[in-house]
Parts: sequence; C-alpha cells; structure tokens
Amino acid sequence: MKPARISAYISLYALLLTAAAGMNYGCSQPDAPQQTNVTDTTSWILQVNRTSKLYTTEYRIHKIVTHDDIVRIKGSFLNKKFNLRMPIGDRKTALPMDVTLKAYIDFSGFGERHIHRQGEKIQILLPDPRVTVTSSKIDHEQVKQYIDITRTRYTDAELTDFARQGVQSILQTLPDIGILEDARRSAARLLIPLLRNLGYKEENIIISFRKDFTTEDIPQLLSPESSRTL
Amino acid sequence: MKFTHMKKRLFLLPFRWLTTGLRHWPLLSALLLTAAVGYLYYRFRQGGEITLSVQTENPIQITPQQIRSIEDIGEWEFLAVSTEEMVDTVRKRFLSADRLTRIYTGTMRLGLNMKEVRPGWLTTQGDTVNVQLPAIRLLDKNFIDEARTRSFYEKGYWNGKAKEQMYHKARQAMLRRGLTRNNLQQAEQNARAQIENLFRSLGFHTVNITFIP
Repeated sequence: MKPARISAYISLYALLLTAAAGMNYGCSQPDAPQQTNVTDTTSWILQVNRTSKLYTTEYRIHKIVTHDDIVRIKGSFLNKKFNLRMPIGDRKTALPMDVTLKAYIDFSGFGERHIHRQGEKIQILLPDPRVTVTSSKIDHEQVKQYIDITRTRYTDAELTDFARQGVQSILQTLPDIGILEDARRSAARLLIPLLRNLGYKEENIIISFRKDFTTEDIPQLLSPESSRTL
Repeated sequence: MKFTHMKKRLFLLPFRWLTTGLRHWPLLSALLLTAAVGYLYYRFRQGGEITLSVQTENPIQITPQQIRSIEDIGEWEFLAVSTEEMVDTVRKRFLSADRLTRIYTGTMRLGLNMKEVRPGWLTTQGDTVNVQLPAIRLLDKNFIDEARTRSFYEKGYWNGKAKEQMYHKARQAMLRRGLTRNNLQQAEQNARAQIENLFRSLGFHTVNITFIP
C-alpha cells in the first residue's frame, strides 16, 4: 500500500473519531435535548411491621443546603505545618430540599398499667413522644451548580450526601424548634375529646408524661431510623 | 606582566572549577544527593515528619432552615412497610450510553386519620363501646426519604428533570408493591386488635369496631 493511501486512511479514521467524540460531547451538554430514557425498577420490601403509633404533630421544613468545594493542600514538612488553597477554580452548589418531621406516641406497649381510674377521675400516663423523618425531597429542578472550567460537576452521590447532611443538621436543631412540647399538647388535644365521649368530664382527665423532656433528651427521643441519620 | 597573568588566573579559577565540576557531574550530584538525604534523615530522626494531602471541603455550610408549617395531626399508624427501590435509567447515544442507577428508601405508613372520624363515632352502652372509624389508608403522600437515597452508578450528565422522573417512578413502583390489599387488611386487623386493647384497658368489656369506607 502506498504511503499516500495509508495517510489518507489514517486521516479518515481520525476524522471519524473526532466526529464521534464531538457527538458524544454534544449529547452530554446540559442544554442538549433529552433523548428517550429507558427506566427499569426493582423493588425490595425490607420489612412489614405491625405498629400502633399515634402521630400528633407534623413539621414541614424547607432548607437550602449549600456547599463550597475548596481544594486545599495540607501537610507538614519537618514540623512545619502548611495549609494552602489550591488555585484550581471554584465549585459551589445550592440544593433546596423539603423535610417532613412527625412527632408520635408509640402505643404498642400501652396497657392497663398506664391508666389510673379513681371514681370519676382518670389519669393516663403516655409513653415518651418520639420524632421521626417521614419524608425528605430534593427539589432537583432548582438545584444550582456553579463550576469553573477546571473543575468537574458534582456527582449524584455527592449531592445525595449533602442532602443527608442537610437532614442531619435539621435533626440537630430539633431542641430549638420545640417539637416535643407541641407533640405533648397535640396528644392531649386528641385524647381529651375521646375520653369526654366515654363519659369523663374534662376537669377529671389528667394526661401526663413520664417526665418533662429537656433538650438533652432529644437524641434519645428520635426514632431508630432517624437516629441512624445522625 | 606577572601580576596581570595572576589576575587572569584568579579570574578564570571559578570557571575552571565549574568545568571540572561539570566534567565530574555524576560524582558531584551523588555527593549533593547524599548530603540532602542525610540531612533529611537526621531531621526525620529528630521527630520531624513529612505529610502531604490534597483535601476538599466535604461538610456542607451552616445555613438557616425555614419552618413552612406546623400542624396538629391525628394519624394512627398500624402497619409500616419499609421498602427500597432501585431505579435504573439509560440514555442511548451514538457510541455509548449514559446510565444512572439510584436506590430509593421509603416507608409507607398505613393507618387511619382521626381527623376524618364522623360526629358520633364513639358511643357507649354500659360496658359496651361502639367505635366507627374511617377506612385504613396510606397516611403520607410523600413517603420517600430521598436523603437516604444511594447513588449506585452514574455515567454522563443527568439533569434535575431526569432525577425528578426517577423519583416518581420509584414512588409508583413502591406503591404498587406496598399498598396491596393484603397489607391494607393486615393494617385493619392490627387496628382492631390495638383499639380493642385500648378500650379494654379503659374498662370496657365489649368493643365493637366498624370501618366506614
């Protein structure tokens, strides 16, 4: 084969490769129209539990989680520590999310030992209120990313990790929002009409809890699945 | 004449050393390297350590949160169905394919809403109590905890719209598998048992429970 022909083949091959790379790049651009996606789902039922939980208060919380990704080179050399910001560009994201928290009273262990009747009076000792995250949702269409040309986009795994940290920070601020106090009041508002229907006068009904809960009790009063998030 | 010659020799001396050094550069380099390694070893033995790492900021920034609503509710849960859903989406391209696989986690809570009870839902006759309750249903429309989602595989760029679609597919699939007649019946059975137990504890011998669809 003549050298001219060989070089023509090489040029053609290179041209094809460049065109293919360009098409791939074009398809991966954010503004490129979405092609038809094939989506498949697989389910696993993990647990079916018989419960008896009375949810009394619901909090809907909105949070914008932000992350500023600064690359630093850290280390020490002969007992001299250094921490330098690397000038390789910025990467920031803002991720809006909605979280629903509910406070509940678990009635599964509830029985006669929690009820004291004396004539016309009735006293009910309720189990400790607990708090759980019933749902969290990222507003994907409103997620903003500001990426310099030298940096890569945030991966889906990174974004979900930030969402998890967002829920964690909401749970850490629970003592400030007074959800347990609301849960107690709401439980009383639910049970007093029920007991009135059973013939008890409102002044004869006492609904109490084991103790007055303080901010220190909050970590213990989170549901097991929410505690795992912390 | 002699003095000028001496000056010239002195002037050329550094260049001579340099050329001699360059001529024996492997030896010179080895000497310098040995000295440097020896010095570092000496400092290292004295307790100095060398560490180097490139780090990115992983924790999120501290931002305020907004409480959108606080509501008194009366939802009584009798069955909790915890489920995971793997959603795999593929977008075919010219030479390859983009793929995103996410595993969603959610808990469907089945029970009754005490705010939906009708007037006169609770009546008593001696030691008998009649309870009319609303039908068992799914208590939360949104039950996926997306913060617990695991991103299993990602190739290519996926925008917010695609992820939103995946979320809804996961929700639909979870509902199909979790909100079954069998689970609703189990929740109703448990509701009967729990409510009967509660009224027995309150001193009633006969508890009649009916669910109104």
